[in-house]
Amino acid sequence: MLLDYDRMGWLRVMLLGITGLVTAFLLLPVVFIVLLSFGSSRWLAFPPPGWTLKWYGELLADPAWLGAALTSMRIAAIAAALAVVIGLFASFALVRGEFRGRNVLRGLLLTPMVLPVVVFAVAIYAFFLRLGLGGTTVGFVIAHTVLALPFAIIPIATALEGFDKTIEDAAIVCGASPLEAKLRITLPSIRIGIFSAAIFAFLASWDEVVVAIFMASPTLQTLPVKIWGSLRQDLSPVIAAASSLLVLLTLLLMIAAALIRRRFSK
Amino acid sequence: MTQPFLAIRAIRKTFGSVVAVHDVTVDIPKGEFLTFLGPSGSGKSTTLYAIAGFQDPTSGDVLLEGASLLSVPPHKRNIGMVFQRYTLFPHLTVAENVAFPLRVRRRPDAEVKRKVGDMLALVRLEGFADRRPGALSGGQQQRVALARALAYDPPILLMDEPLSALDKKLREEIQAEIRRIHRETGVTILYVTHDQEEALHLSDRIALFRDGRIEQIGSGEDLYLRPATDFVAGFIGNSNFLPAECLETADGAATIRLADGSVVSGVRANHDFGRGQKARLMVRPEAFRLTPDHACAGLAVEFVDTAFFGERRRVVARTASGQEIDIRPTSDMADAHRGGASGGRRVFFDPAAAFLFPA
Amino acid sequence: MADVNLTLRESKAPAGQAGTAAMPGKAPFRFPAGLGGALPALVLVTLFFVVPVVALLLRSVTEPEPGLQNYATLFGDGTYARIFLNTFLVASVVTAVTIVVAFPVAWMLAIMPPALGSIVFGVIILSMWTNLLTRTYAWMVLLQRTGVINRTLISLGIIDEPLPLINNLTGVTIGMVYIMLPFMILPLVGTLRAIDPMTLRAAALCGASPFAAFRRILLPLSLPGVAAGGLMVFVMSLGYFVTPALLGGTSNMMLAEMIAQMIQSLLNWGLGSAAAFVLLAVTMALYALQLRLVGARRVGGGA
Repeated sequence: MLLDYDRMGWLRVMLLGITGLVTAFLLLPVVFIVLLSFGSSRWLAFPPPGWTLKWYGELLADPAWLGAALTSMRIAAIAAALAVVIGLFASFALVRGEFRGRNVLRGLLLTPMVLPVVVFAVAIYAFFLRLGLGGTTVGFVIAHTVLALPFAIIPIATALEGFDKTIEDAAIVCGASPLEAKLRITLPSIRIGIFSAAIFAFLASWDEVVVAIFMASPTLQTLPVKIWGSLRQDLSPVIAAASSLLVLLTLLLMIAAALIRRRFSK
Repeated sequence: MTQPFLAIRAIRKTFGSVVAVHDVTVDIPKGEFLTFLGPSGSGKSTTLYAIAGFQDPTSGDVLLEGASLLSVPPHKRNIGMVFQRYTLFPHLTVAENVAFPLRVRRRPDAEVKRKVGDMLALVRLEGFADRRPGALSGGQQQRVALARALAYDPPILLMDEPLSALDKKLREEIQAEIRRIHRETGVTILYVTHDQEEALHLSDRIALFRDGRIEQIGSGEDLYLRPATDFVAGFIGNSNFLPAECLETADGAATIRLADGSVVSGVRANHDFGRGQKARLMVRPEAFRLTPDHACAGLAVEFVDTAFFGERRRVVARTASGQEIDIRPTSDMADAHRGGASGGRRVFFDPAAAFLFPA
Repeated sequence: MADVNLTLRESKAPAGQAGTAAMPGKAPFRFPAGLGGALPALVLVTLFFVVPVVALLLRSVTEPEPGLQNYATLFGDGTYARIFLNTFLVASVVTAVTIVVAFPVAWMLAIMPPALGSIVFGVIILSMWTNLLTRTYAWMVLLQRTGVINRTLISLGIIDEPLPLINNLTGVTIGMVYIMLPFMILPLVGTLRAIDPMTLRAAALCGASPFAAFRRILLPLSLPGVAAGGLMVFVMSLGYFVTPALLGGTSNMMLAEMIAQMIQSLLNWGLGSAAAFVLLAVTMALYALQLRLVGARRVGGGA
């Protein structure tokens, strides 16, 4: 009876109450930050004495913020593209390959996701200092591609595991070359996995703070580094404005993901 | 007035505008094996769930020895139940599963131990006490479920299609076990199935459900030999329905004319039929004979196909009007054979074994 | 492994040659079938992940001079011992709170009508995908001395003085639980959905009260999911840097922050990399345990 939603009585009331509270708890900071970004108080008084758009004005007027956002966008886009392409090839090997140590390889490729980022950040920082890649876009892209790779491999490999290989074989029997069969049959079939991979890989780079803090130079800052720096100075409402734009971006990505899923599942 | 052991009083269950159970009323004496038989969606499981307490009926009542069960939460109803799916607790051993109802009742250890031993002996799984459910076959799992349901000596045992996940041979084996256990324990059993053979094999009485109502309730023999409606006749056993026209009815017997024009008198009719009313005559396949004996009605047919089924032979025959009927003669096997697979001939049936139903 | 070789040979070699092929183990070197696709990933991860991490760890035994003195300092000094202790304390508290809060939510999500559930799922995904710093910033503002929470509590008359909610264990716990909740809830929903509701009906009919059914059936059956999710939350918490650095106080610094500080501010590479090695070793050990719990065959950890 404990798993019969309609037969739980007071227990359901209680559990739904907790669920409601937790949902509110999860929503609270997101909603709060958006409201705050329109508040007129420089000291972040809440509820705000009045409403204003001036923090967005300050944000957009500051070339440092805009520059950081563009840098983040550029790095995340390149890193995500690389991670998806490399991850796609790797997924085929991990799912279809028959070789010794396949599980070891799988573990190795997924390790960047589970190792504490701070260890990788310090390691790659030292490594790039020696190679002269510290503070460069190339260095950023390489480090973020490594971190984004597991987020690309997991959805693609999962989709590939769910795809019946005999369909690809059938295409080959029909006369398609193995490459053609993969391009025209397999890839379209696992496209949801590939789109998910792209979104996750993009977010993995876009939101990455720790490596970025070590890699950043005064001339090359990503958005999280800029926010981090501002946070350490003061809790300016401009950060709230920047954060709200990030929330907006998240919402857009969620909607895009939902639309893609809905369209392809039909 | 004597009080029935278990009384189901006008149970009604609606889901939105759909009525799943229409005012079902049954009295069940202590120790009876009653089966709810019917096609899926006929309301038999819903009724059972109302007794178990998984669904609240919209109206009506369930009384156990005169006391209403409906306000009692399931865990205090003290009812045993075996489910369609295997519902053993996967993290507990067989013995722990059987002990579970006793543990939650805080029975002393010695009693639990003895009872678990008794129960496993009852279902003949003594050697399996320390296995996990995952290591058992489907049949063994259902036997453990049976042991668990009986461990606390519940006055009623509910069984919801417990054998439907098993293959035919295993099903028959466990049916025999269930009969034996019913005999040995004397527990009152309410059994739900859509399998008429299973119902006939197991039950003292069968309640045949149709569209949320009990169409007929009685012993298997009653339902088979004296079906109240054509639905009962069609659901229990095999039957042929021949189009007929009623000529006369009197005292539960009727005289009719079949499609080939032959007139048969003395068929059974428990409805009133008007003169000339269209009707259907139900004749069981095994009621047909290949040779006439006294007071037999005849039917001109052509044999289409015969097949050998061991104890019986199955013949597909075609009547003059082109209807295919099913015939399962026993004693006349040799004769059927001699008749060949085709060719015109007559088959015969006893009118007293034929039932007239409205068309 | 032998049967893998066999199937390879059968599928790739013409039937006539199968008999003359070398014995298993003596097969001439053949490029592993299907490995090619993984090469770019392998090169990338080896060159820019394995090599840098190993190089860093080597520095822990070579700087400032060869030997284990960095580890001796790390385990011998009370300051560092306190940081280790605090790291485990925070991770444990966060894990415990996350489990307790996540369980009822996952429970409801597993059985609630999809229309209602999708709203809760949507909020979970929104919070999970929202920029980490954004979320942490929000908590910094919410929890500060003059923040909304303190003001609300004061205006309601529940407290007279603002509560210290930030730059201490409370702040870190709230911020971290917030971040970890989705990682606990989502896998747990899967575990709970895999439990047949009939099993609990059976338990109820057997006489188990809701509490007994929870304690003896539902909880044990969901324990693998709780353990796997809890371990993941614990491991992630151990190495967390951003949230403790922003919401925690100087008196309860965590390991990740210490490593960053050692290297970025103090330029003490030897000690910093020794601490990094400790963090790595603990994380990997727990991760191995996690794999054993969840089953290594699955590709993702459920994150």
